[in-house]
Amino acid sequence: MKNVHGSVIVIAIFLGTLVSMSATALAHKVNIFAWVEGDRVFTESKFSGGKKAKGAQVLVFDKEGQQLLEGKTDSKGSFSFRIPKLTDLRIVLNAGTGHRAEWTITESEIRQAWYQEETQEVAPPRQVSGNLGLGKEEIQELIDESLERRLRPIVNMLVDLQAKGPSMTEVICGIGYIMGLMGVALYFLSRRKKEGGNDHD
Amino acid sequence: MHISEGVLSAPVLVTGAALAAAGISVGLKKMDPEKIPQVAVLSSAFFVASLIHVPIGPSSVHLILNGINGLLLGWLCFPSILVALALQAILFQFGGITVLGINTVNMALPGVICYYLFSRLVTHERKVISLASGFACGFLAVFLSAILVALSLVWAEGSFTEAAELIVVAHLPVMIIEGLITLFCVAFLKRVKPELLGGRHEKRAW
Repeated sequence: MKNVHGSVIVIAIFLGTLVSMSATALAHKVNIFAWVEGDRVFTESKFSGGKKAKGAQVLVFDKEGQQLLEGKTDSKGSFSFRIPKLTDLRIVLNAGTGHRAEWTITESEIRQAWYQEETQEVAPPRQVSGNLGLGKEEIQELIDESLERRLRPIVNMLVDLQAKGPSMTEVICGIGYIMGLMGVALYFLSRRKKEGGNDHD
Repeated sequence: MHISEGVLSAPVLVTGAALAAAGISVGLKKMDPEKIPQVAVLSSAFFVASLIHVPIGPSSVHLILNGINGLLLGWLCFPSILVALALQAILFQFGGITVLGINTVNMALPGVICYYLFSRLVTHERKVISLASGFACGFLAVFLSAILVALSLVWAEGSFTEAAELIVVAHLPVMIIEGLITLFCVAFLKRVKPELLGGRHEKRAW
């Protein structure tokens, strides 16, 4: 009977490893996240859990379902393109072997980004520009640059949030559902049995 | 190995759903009150297994546990896997509702095949044979699922051999791990609760 203990220990170790592996819960879904910056759309693609989708195909469609352009994600899972047309853009990521994700950028989102740029352009020249000896465009560039730098971590955070794997709550919830279904099934079967029993009486 | 929403064309989805419905109705007919808790436990195991990512290999892969599901449940693994996949689709956004049928078939059918192939062998009195068939059961179930997934992707991705190669290679580590898990389960159940393994010799419910 020594073997029983052996296998129990082995199984315990094995389950322990599995649980510790699941602690870093990486899972099985691919995500694409896209945002507008100026006249370009930037996308990032990840498998949930953080593995980047490298070399995956990205297709961009307009509102009518017409394909506008096609590209591949780079080694960081990102891909960017110039906005080809003012319309709702449906960005489809095709990571192969049945993995697919979508992200839609609405026309209003693009308009907003463009509109901001336009209003900035027509805005009256500020007094500071004269004082500092900097042109309007240079200031604009500086602002854009620093905004980009500051917003980068927030964008990254959003990307990570998008790619977040299932939480413990959802796992427990699912197991709870299965147990509940078991209860329902047992209830109906036990009723059937009872009814069957009554027939015999 | 979940196929995402929007990859497959309607005929494939409908065929998958029809096959799944057939498998589930066979499973439900064989449902015995005493089996229900076991179905629920294995369904939970399948549900959670998808969170256990195997960090080896080029792609994103996770455990499946359809071999042990099939071995212990036979046709009942159809309802078991359907429930688990539905919950994965709703709660984790793995797969999806429209692809539920085809995904169920891809995971559960290999389980049933392995049940017919190995459920007698795992109860063999020679330990080597029973353990080896336990390993083969876990290994083969994942392999067959990979082949079925590649088959269902033929219409979407063109080349079958290319897709099959990609998926099978990506899942090699999973096959080996699942083979070992099934082997340990067989070894454990044989000592602790051998009647669970005697699936095929059990009397039919009704």
